[in-house]
Amino acid sequence: MQDLSELRKDQLDALRELGNIGSGNACTALAQFLNRKIAMDVPTAKILPFSEISSLLGGPQEKTIGIFLKVMGKISGKFLLLIPEDTGIKLMRTLIPKSKANKASDMDDFEISCMREIGNILAGSFLNALSILTRTTMLNSLPAMAFDMAGALIDTVVADMAAVSDHVLMIETSFLESNEDLKLHIFLMPDHDSLEQLLCQLGVK
Amino acid sequence: MPEIYPVGMAELRIARNPDILAAYGIGSCVIVAMYDPKTKIGGVAHIILPDSTGIAQERVNPRKFADTAVPLLFQTLSHAGCFKSSIISKVIGGAEMFPPTENLTNNIGTQNTASAIRALEKLRIPILAQDIGGRCGRSLEMNLATGRISLTVLGESVKEI
Repeated sequence: MQDLSELRKDQLDALRELGNIGSGNACTALAQFLNRKIAMDVPTAKILPFSEISSLLGGPQEKTIGIFLKVMGKISGKFLLLIPEDTGIKLMRTLIPKSKANKASDMDDFEISCMREIGNILAGSFLNALSILTRTTMLNSLPAMAFDMAGALIDTVVADMAAVSDHVLMIETSFLESNEDLKLHIFLMPDHDSLEQLLCQLGVK
Repeated sequence: MPEIYPVGMAELRIARNPDILAAYGIGSCVIVAMYDPKTKIGGVAHIILPDSTGIAQERVNPRKFADTAVPLLFQTLSHAGCFKSSIISKVIGGAEMFPPTENLTNNIGTQNTASAIRALEKLRIPILAQDIGGRCGRSLEMNLATGRISLTVLGESVKEI
């Protein structure tokens, strides 16, 4: 496999389109789940050096809920959902109107489980669209959740990709709800060995 | 006015009094900070992985791995005029951010700190303080006037080590 920084423009475009299709599906799933209208930003596919990763989003110290899943199958990788604390609370309250938690650190087991389920639904619908597009089966592991500084959540997830590359590929997308600011970010990071397979299936090897 | 220099993942940086070296949002990464109180020069390595063994030499970025970044930082400081014998170190980070149930991250934080400490011991660099492990992210700023490190964890007050 070539180095990530050598990806061509048409390859990046194909990956961005992949992000578009996956996020579109995830966005629909979330809108149905919450019974609300959710808008989606145009996804980006970025190749980033490790030193720049933690300054993504609101900066490395931003209070963030992270939901992390492994993608398994012929094409493997990682799926990370980052939700700013206030958005996370709003989402959770939509599902559990009786909830008393005002901060992510006050969430009880049931509320945490509810957040994980949101991750599960988003990842499942995202990967489902990708499976169809690439004609391979992609499965996701059970989601794990943590609440902390954004940088700290991201570095754990990208660590094992650092062994072979100085860059990481991120397909990133954000959702917004019209009248309320509901921001969440999806990152799909294919494993190094899976990237070639993925590009091949997309017809841009 | 002292400058603050942030050190990102896989970066290694040195600076001198009165400046400040910082690393923000550290999860499973480990920060090795070194300081020479005589020259008031210090350095920080923001390490991602424990061990470079088994990775093709030409692809190794030494700043990424604990076993290579620690000697590199030591060497860089001594080239900058530090006294090797007076250099001290502090180790911060290496948390396990996600619950271990799903075995998603191979205990990378624990491995990182263990490997960093091993590399420091090999070079006989005294470790004056450590704040490692747990399930919390950390941010730090090292003041090169004193070598003191102020450490922030979400929901806790700032502490100095």
